[in-house]
Amino acid sequence: MIYQGKQKIWSEYQKEIPTDDWFYVRSCIRQSFFPASEKMFLEILRNRLGKNVYETPSHTTCGGIAYHSEAIPQETMMTIIARQFALMTEAGYENYVCSCITSFGLYTEVMEDWREFPELEAKIRENLWKATKREFKIPKYLAHASDLIYKFRNEIAEQAKFRLVNKATGEPLRVVEHIGCHYSKMFPSKGVGGAEYPYVLAGMVESWGGEVVDYPERRHCCGFGFRQYLVRANRGYSVSNTHKKFESMEPFKPDMIITNCPGCPYFLDRWQYVIAEQTGKTYGENGYGIPVFTYEEVAGLVLGYDPWDLGLQTHQVAVEPLLDKMGIPYHPEDKYKGLNGKELQRPEFPMNIKCC
Amino acid sequence: MSQNVVVIGGGPAGIEASRKLRDLGYTPILIEKEPVLGGHLARWDRLFPDGVEARAVLRPMLEDLDGIKYFTDTEIASINRLKDTWVVKLSNGLSAQVRAILLTTGFDLFKAEKKEEYGYGIYERVITNAELEDWFKSGAAPQFDKVHTIGFVHCVGSRDEKAGNRQCSKVCCVTAVKQACEFKEKYPDLTVYCFYMDLRMFGRKYEDLYLKAQKEHGVRFVRGRVSEVSEDIDGHLFVKAEDTLFGKPLKIKMDMLVLMCGMAPAASTPALARMMSLSAGEDGFFLPQSLVSSPCTSSREGVFFAGSATGPKTIPETLGEAANAALAIDRYLKTPEKA
Amino acid sequence: MGKIYDRLAQDYRIKEGLKACISCGTCTAICPAAEFYRYNPKKIVTIVQSRDDDAIVELLKSDVIWYCGECLSCVTRCPRKNAPGLVIMALRALSIELGYFAESEKGRQMLPLMHAMQRNVLNYGYCVYPKTFAYDKHPEYGTVGKWTQDNMEEVYERLGAHLGQVGPGALRKIPQESLDELKAIFDLTGATRWMEIVEEKSLEKAREMGLTMEEYEAQAFNQTSSCHLNPQE
Repeated sequence: MIYQGKQKIWSEYQKEIPTDDWFYVRSCIRQSFFPASEKMFLEILRNRLGKNVYETPSHTTCGGIAYHSEAIPQETMMTIIARQFALMTEAGYENYVCSCITSFGLYTEVMEDWREFPELEAKIRENLWKATKREFKIPKYLAHASDLIYKFRNEIAEQAKFRLVNKATGEPLRVVEHIGCHYSKMFPSKGVGGAEYPYVLAGMVESWGGEVVDYPERRHCCGFGFRQYLVRANRGYSVSNTHKKFESMEPFKPDMIITNCPGCPYFLDRWQYVIAEQTGKTYGENGYGIPVFTYEEVAGLVLGYDPWDLGLQTHQVAVEPLLDKMGIPYHPEDKYKGLNGKELQRPEFPMNIKCC
Repeated sequence: MSQNVVVIGGGPAGIEASRKLRDLGYTPILIEKEPVLGGHLARWDRLFPDGVEARAVLRPMLEDLDGIKYFTDTEIASINRLKDTWVVKLSNGLSAQVRAILLTTGFDLFKAEKKEEYGYGIYERVITNAELEDWFKSGAAPQFDKVHTIGFVHCVGSRDEKAGNRQCSKVCCVTAVKQACEFKEKYPDLTVYCFYMDLRMFGRKYEDLYLKAQKEHGVRFVRGRVSEVSEDIDGHLFVKAEDTLFGKPLKIKMDMLVLMCGMAPAASTPALARMMSLSAGEDGFFLPQSLVSSPCTSSREGVFFAGSATGPKTIPETLGEAANAALAIDRYLKTPEKA
Repeated sequence: MGKIYDRLAQDYRIKEGLKACISCGTCTAICPAAEFYRYNPKKIVTIVQSRDDDAIVELLKSDVIWYCGECLSCVTRCPRKNAPGLVIMALRALSIELGYFAESEKGRQMLPLMHAMQRNVLNYGYCVYPKTFAYDKHPEYGTVGKWTQDNMEEVYERLGAHLGQVGPGALRKIPQESLDELKAIFDLTGATRWMEIVEEKSLEKAREMGLTMEEYEAQAFNQTSSCHLNPQE
């Protein structure tokens, strides 16, 4: 692989990302499955970097998952999004950052649609007024939360206590990066690095000392597929897509996977469990899987936060092999405890894959 | 004293037109920005449909330049209209005042790295059609080892709104078929694929070449545009395309891939168009007076075209237009000047 | 042109997503659904492009339009700047509006799906919510997932979420005024109407199939025939 060829492409897809004063909206899936990641995002931006990131309790889902499941029509989704923009306008912000990748794709698509079809924008404004008496301005900048962590990756590297390096061998960790489909597949110019070789996660990995691993099915969807997962009858689709990716990355022996989408870390993690229980196969060494992380979890790890503060105990695939490789200390006995060390009943362990 | 005519572009169109103009009694001033004359033709190995060597076509042309003033490594600095003449200033400081200018600026090859999903410039085993010609011509040993299966990707940068080129580049299909045959002639045990959308075998003996590729060489033609190329752990390639005739997505392991880069408008076109108030089409090539009946005259007085400056063309078409343009210039220059 | 095609062409996703298809196959080549299901996005776009009402109605009633996973990988590759994924979304919307979704096994899944999504959004303000994400409907959530569900309050507290609490934070209680606004938006812009259509048509279909609504909804959620899958070669 000729690295300079990739660098050339990355240089052509630069994205303007403001440095401060953000209006933040959360992700349904991340709040449910990775709430500590969202907490870490705010912790890093507010407390480590001194940035102003504002959140209003009145913000809701953007409706993206419902929309992509055809549970609500396009007009409803656009009006909900308009309401979110109204909340931003009322709070006095013009930089909009969202935690979910589907949201990011949707906001981008909606703003493009409104640009191309002004009559549609006018209709949605009218809808919002009729339904809620709110008015909105279109954000000046839209970014995904991973864009911000990408922007500040070097500042994070400076404050880092650990690196993405195998402590025993001194070699960089081999990191598979997985970008959510809705980040740049529809509008390549809106994603850092474009659609074919996105750089938003690769940049973080490189800045924190790791080595990015490319493999044939890197660009393949993880297989969420909205209704293909949400409806139980369709889940074969979802697990098959993830299975394809793991079969493809296996020869490259990655140490970890980093993702920037809400659903992808859930699926890449859980389907390894399902594949192991159904077929006995695991993709890591000695009955372990390949641990999957959100980018805030990785940032939190290099900055030295306690793994159990980062929510890593809720992963089905064990993260301990990676923590050991990086030389990060942790207390195994505290893994499944509640707040303030409260004892809780431990989870059952799967048959074929190690979860701790 | 014979009249000067400025000819911009020293490829086959410019050289041929210059020879014809010289034979008609004019003094062509031939300007070429590269260090050598010959254009892209100087790079090719053998030409379709018969496999005649490119240098065999070019050599007699280059040996017949007496009476033609040519400047290589030279570009156009400016062109201005002065009454009924054109004042052409060159980058070497010289200038000429002429009544007629012939634009034979040709084409640029599409830059394959722009089609990011094909991985040119990132995956070593992905090369362009031009690089393959270089290699055929050099007669060197193969640059890759363990090559059993190779593929040709048609329509790279052509018929592609995203690449900015809606047009078909005309000659790439027959070139791919030619190169596939040449590969098989050198290495009969190879499996060769051609991934095409439509096989444009429009010229004389092109269908015969296609038949030969299938019958004699067993080249596998898959009707489906390549969607994505990726690299395996050992540097070999995976190609994803749909076999549209069977309606099934394919993923084929390849050891080498040749991208058929199309003809794109020459980069010099917008600047020249501005200097002389000429129009270019939406596709970026110069627009002649009529694409049907006057392909060599422009909308401006004293400005003429020949060759792929006005769109993708074969060598015989280019040579034909060169003669056409020379005659048109001759008639124009013999017409009494307007009072 | 035909009335069905005209109505379809009103959808902004057709205006955005259907320029003109040359059947090159780059969409089908990288489509995850085309590998798994008997699905071919190129064929669908060609049918819509033909403007043949009968063929389009057949599509709207078939399983085929429900195979797409809306990953939009097709959009990246199409050389004519089409978006088969968007065309699918427009077809699905029309299929719901006209009630044709109930004619196909995959289409009948709209009932449990729309119930789950709309209820989550209107009751909680989220599309996905732990209190409605039942482990018994999601065994792939895993043993750790079950543990999270069984110890919900403690685990979310440990992770720094604000489950059901007032004020900002993950999984906060979204103020009732906001939920009321969402309801008003649903009522005004057609989401409530869609729910009514889906429930009405599903009830008709359930009667036709001799099932109670509960049986019908459970079947739609749990059962799938093998006829949808691409035969292995």
